[in-house]
Amino acid sequence: MKNKDEFLKDMENLKVPDVDVSSHQKAVKMAIMNAERSAVLGVWLIIIPCYFLFCVCMYYYFHVRTNFFEATFTLVSDLDKSSKTKFLSPLLLVGLPIVSIVVNALAITHVTFQRVGPNTKMIKEFSLTVKVKLWNILLIIISLLIVSVFMAYAIVENITIKN
Amino acid sequence: MKLNWFVRKGVFYWPVSIIGWLILIAGLAYAVYMFVDIDSRSHSASDTLINWVFNLLIVGLIYTVIAYFTERKPKEVSN
Repeated sequence: MKNKDEFLKDMENLKVPDVDVSSHQKAVKMAIMNAERSAVLGVWLIIIPCYFLFCVCMYYYFHVRTNFFEATFTLVSDLDKSSKTKFLSPLLLVGLPIVSIVVNALAITHVTFQRVGPNTKMIKEFSLTVKVKLWNILLIIISLLIVSVFMAYAIVENITIKN
Repeated sequence: MKLNWFVRKGVFYWPVSIIGWLILIAGLAYAVYMFVDIDSRSHSASDTLINWVFNLLIVGLIYTVIAYFTERKPKEVSN
């Protein structure tokens, strides 16, 4: 059994381990926006273009030639006729899905920029984390599809007119 | 400044303050006014419905955006 003095001496000379906090992998990663709220807002943002595309599909692809669906196209084309409301149709059909993409992307991504390594050799590290939230990812995909459909239509129509 | 006017129930926002109720009532009143106005100018029931539904969706979107920014935050925030 060690002497009390020797024990105290050993305790005083005990080396404390160095903890490198910068290399700690686990961290609380908070996204900019709440995922659930962003998903709810995203649903409401794409509901109008989805409704318009539903009417287009029913009228042209399933040949349901009712006045109900044809009236939708008349309504949107009437918006384009007036100079005061000309901006509304691209805003509603393309602008809102783009906002939905941004809102949902901000809810599931987390970006960090830090310097890691020992003091003599600091390396700049940029990391992008994407949380797998089903509804947010689904809304981003649907919004991208909507935007691509309308952009493709605009491109094709402009080519047709020029020809 | 915290504006706790609405609380979220699924995909809908329910008012929990007087101002929230006023906004909801104003939206519903405008929807009714739109229906009457569109019906007076349309030639058929489907004409009325299609024009009204489209405008109703826009009103719903504006209501949701206002409610989104003035929502009462829950006590436990989970992400």
